[in-house]
Amino acid sequence: MAIISICRGTKSGGTAMAQCLAEHLHYPLVARDVVQEAASDLGVSEADLSRGMERTPRLWNRQSSERRLYIAAVQSALAEHVAGGDLIYHGRSGQVLLAGLPGVLKVRLIAPMEARVRSLVESEGMDSTAAEQYIRHVDSVRARWVRMMYGEDVEDPVLYNMVINLKTLSIPAACAIVTKTAEQSDFTATGEVKAKLLDFRLACRVKLALAKARDTRALDLRIEAHGGAIDVFGAAPALSSGKMGEQIVEVARSVEGVEVVRLKLEWFDPYP
Amino acid sequence: MPIITISRGTLSGGQRTAECLAQVLDYPIVGREILQEAARTLGVAVEDLSGKLQARPSLFTRLTQERKKYLLAVQTTLAERCTSGRLVYHGLAGQFLLRNLPGVLAARLIAPLEQRAQTLTALHHGMTQKAAEEFIQNVDEERRRWVKLMYAADVEDPSLYDLTVNLESISLDTACVIIAEAAAQPQYEVTADVKKGLEEFAGGCREQLLEARGS
Repeated sequence: MAIISICRGTKSGGTAMAQCLAEHLHYPLVARDVVQEAASDLGVSEADLSRGMERTPRLWNRQSSERRLYIAAVQSALAEHVAGGDLIYHGRSGQVLLAGLPGVLKVRLIAPMEARVRSLVESEGMDSTAAEQYIRHVDSVRARWVRMMYGEDVEDPVLYNMVINLKTLSIPAACAIVTKTAEQSDFTATGEVKAKLLDFRLACRVKLALAKARDTRALDLRIEAHGGAIDVFGAAPALSSGKMGEQIVEVARSVEGVEVVRLKLEWFDPYP
Repeated sequence: MPIITISRGTLSGGQRTAECLAQVLDYPIVGREILQEAARTLGVAVEDLSGKLQARPSLFTRLTQERKKYLLAVQTTLAERCTSGRLVYHGLAGQFLLRNLPGVLAARLIAPLEQRAQTLTALHHGMTQKAAEEFIQNVDEERRRWVKLMYAADVEDPSLYDLTVNLESISLDTACVIIAEAAAQPQYEVTADVKKGLEEFAGGCREQLLEARGS
């Protein structure tokens, strides 16, 4: 049992690879489904959600409450799938949406530019100069997004468990290598790993509830779940009414499965 | 099954992975001793060759005839070992010395600094974690600079390798299994053509070395 997350640039063979893995391992395959599910949960169109989430953020608005809500909804949709164990995810930003989770095999596929251009020319009938420009544009937009949102370089091999270069290796060969890796004990879902996946799902549900609620949606909070206990980190304004803490606790407790909420917030004065 | 080169930073578990692969595939294994062989060929002391080769090159000296000759001697020695199509190489710059050759699988191992420093402190009792981390960072930096100057490349660039394995949550045994699985893929089959290519490469290296020694 393993969760496999595949990250790659556009036209690097990620979809074919994910399908090959699903066939070999009989795991469910999830990609943009999480965006659809998030959109339907929030009652917005998929196009709006994608745009709101993926538009390159500026420094001053990368943490807007709308973007935070969209990302929380997508991450939460992904967490619902992940909690079941076996999964192949080849949608956006798996390496950051699932960062820190145990039992996740994070794979990055890279391919030489010539091969990616050829693939686009063949599938879309573009000329090769336009195809290369398009690929470079998409690459840079995605790289910028990950850098702005998470401060990470999407190409940094440190973010992944393995990077496979399709210069010599074919997709079926890469698929065989990842299948073999997923079978190793390093990625076995032990009881401890399964518990952490459930914790992750609960934390994502709480984060989404806080991002949705009128009184708490402006806050940038980090949530950890340990069984039914929820720890809330981040900065919050110390209102004279003293109500902010109560509101956070109330929203978090409304999520099924939450028993205790522990506030580990840094309070700041909103009117200094 | 191809020739396998393993690149890694110091104390990242490269040698153990190389030994494991050699055992699993029943391959000969070569590491830094390639420098000794090259030194013997040139009739110089290994310290001399190794020192000249790896001393931090300045912009003015990197392409001196001597350095070129030493590097060619190492490349030729390695190329000759490769003609059988069976080798695990974990010495200097395998990914560059055998670059673009058919029948070669270039692997890179990476590991978090903290983990590497722990390996070092376990070897040297009394060494602090901080001192170990500094030592490793210095060695990394030296190598990075060397590769940058000699090959105008970034040693950490994953496009230089067929496969990069991060040992943060993958054990050395698993890394060995993964690389062996990659080596078993049909793209790396050492066919008669590939062997011919390897022999021609060794021949070409020998010629260049002769030329360099003559000049």
